[in-house]
Amino acid sequence: MSEAAKEKWGMVIDLDACDGCQACVTACSLENNVAFAGEESVAYGHGMHWLRIQRYWEGEYPNITARYRPVMCQQCGAAPCEPVCPVFATYHSEAEQINVQVYNRCIGTRYCANNCPYEARTFNWFDFEWPEPLNAQLNPDVTVRRRGIMEKCTFCIQRIRRAEEDAKAEGREVADGEVQPACAQSCPTQAIVFGNLADPKSKVSRLARSARAEKLLEDLGTEPKVIYLKGGSDRDR
Amino acid sequence: MSEKSTHAHMAVFAKIDHIAEALERLREFGIQEKDMSVISGYPISDEMLGRPMVWSNVPKIAMGGFIGAFIISIALNWGTPLLYPIHVGGQPLLPVPPTIILTFEISMLGLMLSTFLGVLWESLFPSYGPKIYHPDVSHGKIGLVFTCPDDQCAAIHKALTEAGAEWVRQMEAKPL
Amino acid sequence: MTANIPAIPLGDAHHDAEAEYREEHLMLDPRPREEMNNMVLESMRDKSLSFWVTAGVLGMLVAVALFGAWGYMIANGMGVTGIRRPVFWGVFIANFVFWIGISHAGTFVSAILRVFKAEFRRPFTRAAELMTTFGLAAAGLYPLIHLGRTWRFYWMIPYPNQRWLWPNFHSPLVWDMIAITTYLLSSTMYLYLPLIPDLAMARDHSEGWAKKIYGWLAMGWRGTEAEFRHLNTAINIFAFAIIPVMFSVHTIVAWDFAVSKVVGWHSTVFGPYFVTGAILSGVSAVTMVLALIRGTMKNMKYFIRPEHFDALGKLVLIFSMSWGYFFFNDFNLEWYGGEAAGHAVMEYHTKGPLAWIWYGMLIANLVIPWATLWNKNVRRNPWAMFVIGFIINLGMYAERYMIVTFVLSRGRMPFDWGWYKPSLVELAISLGSIALFLFLYVVASRLIPLVPVWEVQEGQLAHTLRKIGRATVISVSELE
Repeated sequence: MSEAAKEKWGMVIDLDACDGCQACVTACSLENNVAFAGEESVAYGHGMHWLRIQRYWEGEYPNITARYRPVMCQQCGAAPCEPVCPVFATYHSEAEQINVQVYNRCIGTRYCANNCPYEARTFNWFDFEWPEPLNAQLNPDVTVRRRGIMEKCTFCIQRIRRAEEDAKAEGREVADGEVQPACAQSCPTQAIVFGNLADPKSKVSRLARSARAEKLLEDLGTEPKVIYLKGGSDRDR
Repeated sequence: MSEKSTHAHMAVFAKIDHIAEALERLREFGIQEKDMSVISGYPISDEMLGRPMVWSNVPKIAMGGFIGAFIISIALNWGTPLLYPIHVGGQPLLPVPPTIILTFEISMLGLMLSTFLGVLWESLFPSYGPKIYHPDVSHGKIGLVFTCPDDQCAAIHKALTEAGAEWVRQMEAKPL
Repeated sequence: MTANIPAIPLGDAHHDAEAEYREEHLMLDPRPREEMNNMVLESMRDKSLSFWVTAGVLGMLVAVALFGAWGYMIANGMGVTGIRRPVFWGVFIANFVFWIGISHAGTFVSAILRVFKAEFRRPFTRAAELMTTFGLAAAGLYPLIHLGRTWRFYWMIPYPNQRWLWPNFHSPLVWDMIAITTYLLSSTMYLYLPLIPDLAMARDHSEGWAKKIYGWLAMGWRGTEAEFRHLNTAINIFAFAIIPVMFSVHTIVAWDFAVSKVVGWHSTVFGPYFVTGAILSGVSAVTMVLALIRGTMKNMKYFIRPEHFDALGKLVLIFSMSWGYFFFNDFNLEWYGGEAAGHAVMEYHTKGPLAWIWYGMLIANLVIPWATLWNKNVRRNPWAMFVIGFIINLGMYAERYMIVTFVLSRGRMPFDWGWYKPSLVELAISLGSIALFLFLYVVASRLIPLVPVWEVQEGQLAHTLRKIGRATVISVSELE
């Protein structure tokens, strides 16, 4: 097992603030050139979303509530997806402490997707097209994947890289809040906060120390880097 | 070694008892063990024929192959991650269970490949040159191939026929 | 050369006993070697119209259903299958495990029975070993078929390259690849070695092109003492060495599932469970193939007799019980002390919309063998054994299908549960791989002698009848 958990990039999601609006899902798809598979495909499970909002209905009529939980790749410290890939297409970045997916190495065995307890990975079932003028929306910082390749949330590593390069060029450290993945940037209730968990003064570290903090499927020992805050809203009384 | 001219001959028998008897007769004529050879369509043990044991190096070759493959598997299992380390799943770089599994498989592959190649090597296979042979052997008869000096041929032929040979003749080596 | 059955003075009362033994046991019914040679060669050379039609239809199925559908899938993407989130593995992996299971048949018969000196194996070791080789050929396609980028499969092979990239030896799929390669190469060599004397026999009985090819394959075999010594030594080494390889191959395939974090897969019993299931489905498949050979090929009724089906039937019953033992191990523990996620998986198996598959599996693998195979008359009947073997193989396929797809559809988070529906492409490829196995088998049966005549003769030499008191009994000697 890994040594005393190393940390760098992490994310806190406040479930009491999340209202399930799916803005984060949309923003993620646009930022990362995620293909639009169509309604039927998504209903069958061929959807390409990197980030999904799990919705659970609770209660009996007329006291029904919906619980929302945005789930994306948890960037596990002891990721079950990594050792099972036969070609090292997914491995642990020691510098960034996130799980890296290498598109041009993936041969599509889909073992990583089976082994992920969070069902966070998606697979390119087909070659998708962006007919003109839709191809103008593609983000040039992110590869467009062809069929047969696994993909998943990368904590917008292209934005992390850009911030690190800018900071290095200016001879300083990356400031807290400088890196905003697309989901954090677009959330209207600011339920998603991203930052450096290794810095005890960053916003994400302070929120992670909250009494409401929990991790998803924590007892599996995967050491996820996404912390959920839950249990302080009116609805739970 | 004498300068007498010798030729290869073959006698064919239907029963193990007869050929064992025939081998005795040949020894009485002074033919050496190395100049006698038994060919058959099914395995007959050396003891049944009264012949010296045939030594086979196949087990040694097999062991050599096992050790060679073991070394290759250690190189793959430990050499490649040490040279080009990639961290996965919070597991150590040189984990023990995968090492055991792969080392076992690759070593067994080496054992079996070298056993197979060992048979080919020891039997000098494949060899398509001319040989002393007659299809009666695969028809179920047992063949006795021997070299005898020309002046003793007739006497030996007679002795073998008495011992139960179905036929005895001088043979030319031919491609099979 | 006839085996020496001693001319014991037998009274009339015992004369029937000897004739009965002769009819019942191949090993006590020796014929002259040349007669056996001709019987085997005749069945090999018999190419009737039904053979050509069968081979033609199977060949066409292989071309269209297997390679055609596969090409279509490569060109269009895996989306043409029913695989989806969360069931990322489907029929292809179930087929893969199934074929690896079938391939255990040959090794069990030719290696384990050889090591235990079970003489009844002699006439059908090659028929079973062919099943191993062709089963592995069919199985070995599936790790390629199920890849998203099949054309990059070679990255799983360890070779030095300019990117300094090696395969990930932590991955069970790499263990699979190396284990299956080892097993395929070993079983091909183990098929080939005892075949050499029979190829020499075929060479001596052929003309023209056939003689040239058999001669080339026989590598100059004559049958000298040294040649037999080296061959027998090698065959013995192989027999002992291939048994652990056989166990390890299916265990490693089981570990594809068992090492994962998937609830319902992560079970310590999977290794032996899969090996036992493989031997069960393999031996059942051997009975099916032997029934077909005996029924459709000339002269095979001499070599393959009810005694062989009887012996195999007992093995099938024993392995059906072992399978039941391991199945209950897995079931009982999950039922009793499993977590909620495990119980959800069990409920899908036993009470879900496809629960009939689960019950069908239990009936096929346990109820039917236990109800029928205790009966000697059933075991001795080739067609009854064919039907029972077929039903067991259906049950074992259902088991693999459920392990792969049912378990994946019920993960830990109910929002992400999903129902898997195989598509026509997957069914076509499955049908194509069955056709491939049968095609290769049918063609091989007409190219090489199916019965190892020299091994049968060796066995017949070792068996005699002798009298103990008033009884005439079978006596087997150790010839080596």
